[in-house]
Order: sequence, then C-alpha cells, then structure tokens
Amino acid sequence: MLDYWDHILPGFVITMWLYIWALVMGFFLGLLLSIIRQYGGWVISRIATGYIELVRGTPLLAQLFLIYFLPFSINAILEAQGLPFIPIGRWSFHISSEILGRRITIVLLDQQTLVGIITLGLNSAAYQAEYFRGAMSSVGTRQLLAAQSLGMSRLAGIRHIVLPQALRRVIPAWSNEASYLPKYTVVVFYIGVVELFAQAHYIVTQLFLTLITYSLIALIFLSLITIISKALDSIHKRTSIPGL
Amino acid sequence: MLRIADVWKSYGNLQVLKKISFEVAEREVKVIFGPSGSGKSTLLRCINMLSPPDKGKVYLCGQNLMAPEINLNEMRARIGMVFQHFNLFVHLKAIDNVSIGLRRGKGLPKEEARAKALKTLARVKMEDWADHYPAQLSGGQQQRVGIARALSMDPDVILFDEPTSALDPELIGEVLQVMLDIAKTGTTMVVVTHEMGFANAVASEMIFLDRGIIVECGTPQHFFTSPKSERVKRFLKQIDILYGRHEELLKLPNEEGSK
Amino acid sequence: MSDIPDLPTIFFYILRTGLPATLLLTAQGLLWGFVLGLSLALMRVYGGKVLGWIASGYEKVFRGIPLVVLIVLFAFGIPGLFWFIDPIERPLTGVFLALALRSGAYQSQIFRGAILSVNPGQMKAARALGMSRFQAFRHIIFPQALRLSVPSWSNEYAVVIKDSSFAYEIGIIEMMKAAYRVTSNFPELWALSMGVVAILYFIFTYPVTRLFGERQTKKLKELGMGGG
Ligand SMILES: Nc1ncnc2c1ncn2[C@@H]1O[C@H](COP(=O)(O)OP(=O)(O)OP(=O)(O)O)[C@@H](O)[C@H]1O
Ligand SMILES: [Mg+2]
Repeated sequence: MLDYWDHILPGFVITMWLYIWALVMGFFLGLLLSIIRQYGGWVISRIATGYIELVRGTPLLAQLFLIYFLPFSINAILEAQGLPFIPIGRWSFHISSEILGRRITIVLLDQQTLVGIITLGLNSAAYQAEYFRGAMSSVGTRQLLAAQSLGMSRLAGIRHIVLPQALRRVIPAWSNEASYLPKYTVVVFYIGVVELFAQAHYIVTQLFLTLITYSLIALIFLSLITIISKALDSIHKRTSIPGL
Repeated sequence: MLRIADVWKSYGNLQVLKKISFEVAEREVKVIFGPSGSGKSTLLRCINMLSPPDKGKVYLCGQNLMAPEINLNEMRARIGMVFQHFNLFVHLKAIDNVSIGLRRGKGLPKEEARAKALKTLARVKMEDWADHYPAQLSGGQQQRVGIARALSMDPDVILFDEPTSALDPELIGEVLQVMLDIAKTGTTMVVVTHEMGFANAVASEMIFLDRGIIVECGTPQHFFTSPKSERVKRFLKQIDILYGRHEELLKLPNEEGSK
Repeated sequence: MSDIPDLPTIFFYILRTGLPATLLLTAQGLLWGFVLGLSLALMRVYGGKVLGWIASGYEKVFRGIPLVVLIVLFAFGIPGLFWFIDPIERPLTGVFLALALRSGAYQSQIFRGAILSVNPGQMKAARALGMSRFQAFRHIIFPQALRLSVPSWSNEYAVVIKDSSFAYEIGIIEMMKAAYRVTSNFPELWALSMGVVAILYFIFTYPVTRLFGERQTKKLKELGMGGG
C-alpha cells in the first residue's frame, strides 16, 4: 500500500492545485458577483442573482458534465453542418521529475483539468458571492451614506469603506467555505482528472484493498480540511479589529 | 451661502417635505426642530443630495446642486454631515476616520491628510484617542470624532442631524460644548436638535418643522417668549419636560457675560 | 431509442426513470439524517463533556470526507457491512447510509445553532413556571428551535437532493444517470441533456429554498424569534 506513494503524492498535488485555483477564481468572481448583485442596476443585479441561484440550485456534477460535454456537442453539430470544429486535443502541460528513484509526472493542465478548474471556480464563485453579499448588507447603508457625505463617490465608498469591513466580517463564514472546498474537487475524477480519488481507484484495481485505500483517502481529506480551517482561524484572530 | 427653494420630497405616497424654503447666511447657525417623523432628517439629506428632492432647488454658494452637470461628490465634500448614530467607519481608527475624507474625497496626500486630521481631532479634544477604533470609544467621544470628520474637510456648511439624541445624558454636554466652540469660530451650521439651551446660545434663527411644513420661524427669544402657533407651544412644553435638564451642562455665553 | 430524442422526450425520460430513485434517496437521507442530527445536537447542547466531544468529533469527520469517498466506502469498501441485505441492494444501501451519515453531521449543526439561538430568557421563564428542564425543552425550546431551523433545513434538503446525483457512480438509475443514458448515442445532445437535468434539479430545489428559506426567515423575524 505505502509503496504506492508515487501515486498518492501526485494525486494530492493535483487536488491542491485544483483547490487553489477554484478558491482564487471563486473569490474574485464571487466578489464581483456580490458587488453587482448588491449595488448594480436593476438588470445586471438580476442577472447576477439568477446566476447565483442557478448554480446553487443545481448539482456540481451536472455543471461539470455540462461544461465538459459542451465542446463535444458543439462539434457534433458543426460536423453535421460540415463546418470545421473545435479541436479537443490531447494537449497537456506537465511537470515531471525523479523523486527517490521514481519518475513522477504531474499533469498541470489539459482539457479535463481546465474544465475541472473552470467548473469548480464558477461553482465556488456563486457560493462565495452569497457570503460576501451577506457581509456587505450587514455593513449597512449608513456607512456608505457617511462616506458619500464626505464627498466620496459611490464606487470609492464601496471600495474603501464597505469592502474592507465586509471582507473582515466575512472571514468566519468564508473560512468555512474555503476549508470545505477541497472535498468538492473530487468530482473532477468523473471527467478523468487524475487527482487523489482517481489515484485511489487505480490503487484499488491493483491491490484490491478497498477499505484501507479509501479510508486513507478519507483521512487525507480530513487532515487537509482540519489544517486549513485551523490556519484560517488563527489568521482571523490575528487580524481582528475591536468592534468588528 | 446656502439657499433652499421650494423643496418637495416624497417617499411613495408619503409626502415628507412640502414646499420648504429658507436661506442660511455665512457664519450663521440655523436650528431646525420639530416632532419625530416631521421630515428633519429628510431635509438634511435633501440638502447634500444623499436623497435628492423631487422638486425645488438647493443652492450652495450660488450653485444649484440639482443641475445635471454638477459633480455631486465634489459638492458633498463641501457640505459636512454629522449623523445621529455617528456612522463612524468601524474598521478605521479615529485618525483614519477623519483623514479618509481628506484623502478619498479631496485627494490630499497621506501625510498631509494625517497632519490635518490630527489638528482637527485636537479641536474636538480627541487627539489623545487618535489610535483607538470606534468600538473602543464612548458615544460622546465617537460623536466628537464624527464632528472632526466633517470639520476636517473645511466645508462651507456642516449639517448636524440630532447629534446628541443617541447619547447617554452625561455625555451630551461634551458634544454640545464642542459644537458651541465650533459655532463661535464662525462655522456655518444647520443643526437639527432639541437641545434648546444650545439653540438659545448660538442660533440666529430657529425653524419649527411639522409634517413637512415650516410652521414657524424666528429667533430663540421669539420661540421661548412668544411663540405664535399652538403646535409650537405644545411641542416646546414637551421638550421642556424631556430636555430641560441639560441646559446647565453648557457653559453658555450669556453666563460668561458676552450676551 | 434510435431516433434522435427531442427536448420533451429527454425531459420526461429523465423525470420518469430518474425521479423516483432521486426522491427516495433524498427522503431517506434527510429522514435518517434528521434523527441522527437531532440526537447529535442534543448531545452537544445538553450532553455534557464526553457526549458533546463525541458528537462534535462525529460532525468534523463526516463533514470533512468527500461524499463520493463515503459512498464508495460504504458501497464497496466494507464487505461484511450489509450481510443481512440482498447483495443486489447493497450498493443502494451504501448510498443511503453515506447520505444519511453526512446529512446527520450537517443537521446536527443546524439544530444545535437553532437550539442555542432560542432566547435564553425562554428557558428561565419556563423554569419559573415550575417546568422541569426536560419539560421546558420539550414544550418551549424545542418547538421554537424547530421553527428556527426551517430555513437552514430547507437548504439542507437542497444539498441532499443535489448530492444524491453521486449515486449514479454505483449504478443507481436516478436523474443524473438517466440523463447520461438518454442521449448516450448522440454526442450533439450530451450538453443539452446535462442542461435539462440541471434545470430539473433546480425545479426541485429553488422553490423550496425560496419558500422555506427567505419567507420563513421573514416570518420568524416578525415573530421576534431567535437572535435575541
Ligand atoms: N428612505 C425612506 N423610505 C421611506 N420612507 C422614509 C424614508 N426615510 C424617511 N421616511 C419617512 O419620512 C418621514 C420623515 O422621516 P425623517 O427621518 O425625515 O423624520 P425626522 O423628522 O428626522 O424624525 P426623527 O426625529 O425621528 O429623526 C417618516 O415618516 C419616515 O417614515
Ligand atoms: Mg431624524
């Protein structure tokens, strides 16, 4: 079992890789969505709301397959019309090195991984947006009024007064989302990204140690999530402001 | 300096302000009072266009704020506002609360804004608390920072919306004292308040607002000795019962023999 | 099916073949999760140190493991686990168990939060009327907590119904699997059928979270419950 560390290690790296991308992409996109939803005009605020509700109301798996199949479906249609189609190539960026006498190759980006990152990011954005919006509305309109009374534009007020407060307020809820995000990356296994769970599958086919292998994977996720949430917690404590 | 002409404002079906007109001269202190819900806060928000009037005109130094080509942010930087609930920026220290308007509203460089903010904090006797967050200050101290925040912008006029009504009685005196000091330096002020001692000391004219209408205006002497309207009389009697006790907290100018 | 299926065909095929399993999985997961979650919450709030520690440990474990891993563990990982059940139904039971155990961990949090947000004055007032601690909980705290938990609970329902889509992995024909099947021979329809199944889930989640989430929150506020 332990002899398969050269599968578990790259699997873990890919899981973390997906996690970080999803988190960062979800953060910025989510922030943007929440600002639009909270302060945008009627139409674009409705669009943002619609996006958020749609993503939150449908399974991640369906979103993943939808995005994954989209190029295939478009190609099938283009082909039927006799038009040139989107290349769904076997391209990939990978790194590869010799560790302790084993050759370890990690595919950082290919068709599947890209689809996985995009889906996880788009999905997480909708969830993060809800946390941001909650924090923004808890800051209240008074703070924005006070900012405007000093001659700041609405945008400057949002940027310098509402956002800093909202971002600090959101930390506890956001940390929760952030620490549990790693476990959702598992879905990309269904479109063939070789992350931790996919590696576990492979090991099971080799050793038939179903219970031990999956338990080990469970343990790895559990530790990862615990560590992340402890780390975010201590950051939160250190950056706290009286009265916020 | 400030002229409000024929201002109307409604929220939905509710007509909050009806044909309000008055003028505030330079260095003048105008006190507005009246029952709850009469539209006082709304009037102040109409003046700095935080909620623009439906109809009418607001002139600051001859410029009509309702004109479409006007840059409202620039104009608001010239109209200070002190809020009933302070509305300090809770994520910023006292000093940054005061300097942020200078930096983001007026575009002053950081150091200059800071120096000026510190000077302004001294004017409200809060320089020793510069590095405290709002949550670490008492209500009275918070409101003094709020006043410094408005004052630091060197506004043409400062609007006060019941600056002491959210304060514990023992904290009201220190805030009124600061306002009194500012008034004496010749700052133009529009003050919504029920502190009649303060009004008596510095107001050149008082306006009684009820249900969105200016019912009566006149000097403090006029209101305290011979108010005309029945509504004013009744209201002043209630105010006496509620607020009369704060008068002695003020070092009134007439006690010092200046009046 | 050799003809290219059109949109209504896809829609109703997924609904007809997939919906029963999806709803069954969801109902079972929620129901057992409810029983488990409520017990855990009680352990955490009233159970003293040891029980509270056990319950919170349980929560951490089952919230921290990806659902798919739980499903394969229970469906394939522990061979003797369901010796008493017909082998054909074992994977299904594994999914039930995974959904329920995970949901239990989340529901425990929901109920604990709700119990704690019932105004402490309510307990005092009930005790002052001469009720025992248990009576006070049973007649005063619990009914309020239950109502307070409705918004989060409707959210949990949405989570479970969406999560039930992972059952497709082990060959249960729920909506996801049905969507996969209906267009398997027509690549041009793959994305479409995923879109349709997504919309179907949305139809089953959004109105519920909307109705019980936002409306109920408003109602609770009007009643002045919680928070204070
Ligand atoms: N944003 C708003 N939307 C709808 N109605 C409003 C709004 N702001 C104020 N009102 C209504 O307008 C009326 C006047 O409100 P305003 O706050 O100006 O009164 P006020 O004289 O300042 O009262 P108070 O002494 O209580 O502060 C009230 O009836 C209030 O309910
Ligand atoms: Mg008011």
